[in-house]
Amino acid sequence: MATTSISLIREMSEAVVPPRALWVPFPLGRPLGAVDDSEFQKNVMRAAFSLLDTAIKPTIEDYEIKAPHDDLNENWSCPLNLGPASSDALSERLLAEVAMLRPWAIETRHQRGRTLFGVTGAGEDQIDDLARAFASIADAGDVISEPVVDGISWAFEMPLLLRHMADDLRTFYHEAIAAQPGDSSPDHDDLNRWIFSETVLGETLLLVADGLTEASDMPMAELVRGLLIPEGHYNGGSAFPEQVDFPIGQQAPAD
Amino acid sequence: MVRLSDLHPVEAEHLLKRAKDMPAVGPGDWVTPPSVEEATVAIVSTAGLHRRIDPPFTVGSLDYRLIPGDTQFDDLVLSHISANFDRSAFGEDPNIVFPIERLRDLASSGEIGGVARWHYSFMGAMPDPSQFEQAGEEIGRLMANDGVDIAFLVPI
Repeated sequence: MATTSISLIREMSEAVVPPRALWVPFPLGRPLGAVDDSEFQKNVMRAAFSLLDTAIKPTIEDYEIKAPHDDLNENWSCPLNLGPASSDALSERLLAEVAMLRPWAIETRHQRGRTLFGVTGAGEDQIDDLARAFASIADAGDVISEPVVDGISWAFEMPLLLRHMADDLRTFYHEAIAAQPGDSSPDHDDLNRWIFSETVLGETLLLVADGLTEASDMPMAELVRGLLIPEGHYNGGSAFPEQVDFPIGQQAPAD
Repeated sequence: MVRLSDLHPVEAEHLLKRAKDMPAVGPGDWVTPPSVEEATVAIVSTAGLHRRIDPPFTVGSLDYRLIPGDTQFDDLVLSHISANFDRSAFGEDPNIVFPIERLRDLASSGEIGGVARWHYSFMGAMPDPSQFEQAGEEIGRLMANDGVDIAFLVPI
C-alpha cells in the first residue's frame, strides 16, 4: 500500500521516516489548513498526492502556502460578557455561565445541524447535568468516585472521564462563541487564554487538576491532569508529570 | 505555523522530547502506486475520530474505527485525548481533519481514480508508533482487498 501523509510536526516525521510527507504550516487541529475553503484544502491534497508521482525515496516536502486569514486573529476577545464575579458556590457560578452561553451554543448547533458535544455519553440537552457534576468534583476534590447522574451512562472510566467531561464543556463553550461573528476567529491560544483567564470553567478545570495532583497515588491521575490542561496553563507550566507512564493497548470500557 | 518555536515553549519542549524519543518505523519497502488519476484513495486519520455508535478511543488505544465513505458529518465525533489542539476547526468544517468531501471532489474532476468504501481512524499521540504495526498491517491488507491504491495519512 502506497502512502502519502500530512506532517504537522516536522521533527516527528523526521524521526519516523514516512515514505512521503508534506509538512504544512498550519496549527495542530487544522491539517488541511483552512475551514470552508474547498479549493485551499484540495490544493494541500494535490501537493501531498503529487509526492506519489515525484518521490523516489523517503521525502518530507515543505508546503509554503499559509492558510488565508492566518494572521487575522490577533487581539481576539470574547464578544460575550459572562457577567461580574460573584461569591456564589462554584457549581452555581458555572451553571450561570453555561446559561449565558446556551442561546449561542444552540444557535451554532442549529446553523451546523450538528455538535461535537456528548463524547462523555451525555446527551445534547444534558450540559447542566454535566456542568453540575464537574463542579461538584472540583469542589470536593474527589477525582476517584464516578459521578452519578440520572440518564447518563458514562463512556469512560475515572479518572479519564474527567478529561472528556472537560472536553465536552470546552466544546459547549467553543460552539457558543462560534455563533458570534466578531472580526476574527479565535485560535487555540485565544481559546485557552479566554477559558483560563475569564471563565468559571477555567477555574473549575484547575481545581480538578489540583484534585488529580492530590490523588497522585491513583493510577493515571497525573497523566490525566496532563490530558486535561493544555500545556502552559497549569501553574504557568506543564500539567504532565516529569515521567509519563503511558498505558498502551487499552480498550474502551464495554457497555 | 507549526514550527516548535511558534508553540507555547512548554508544549514545544514536550513535543521535541517526544520526537527525540520516537523510534523510526521507516523506511519500509518502497511501493509505487498506479498514477494518482487512476488510484483509489482511502483516508487514515489519527484524530481519534469515530461515529457516535462506536466505542470511544482511550489512552493508548491501538485499535481502529471504521468510517464508511458515506458517513455524514453529524455522526462524527472526536475522542482524542490531547488538550493541545482545539476542536473548533473540526466543528466548523470536518473536512479540515477528515477531507472526505474533498476526495469526492477530486474523484469527480478526475484528479484521483476513486474514493474508497472504507476509511480508518486511530488515536494519535502515541509515543511509539511502532506499536501500531499489527493494526497497520491489518488495515493495509483490508484496504488492498478493497481495491485501495493509496492511503492518505492525516494527523491532527
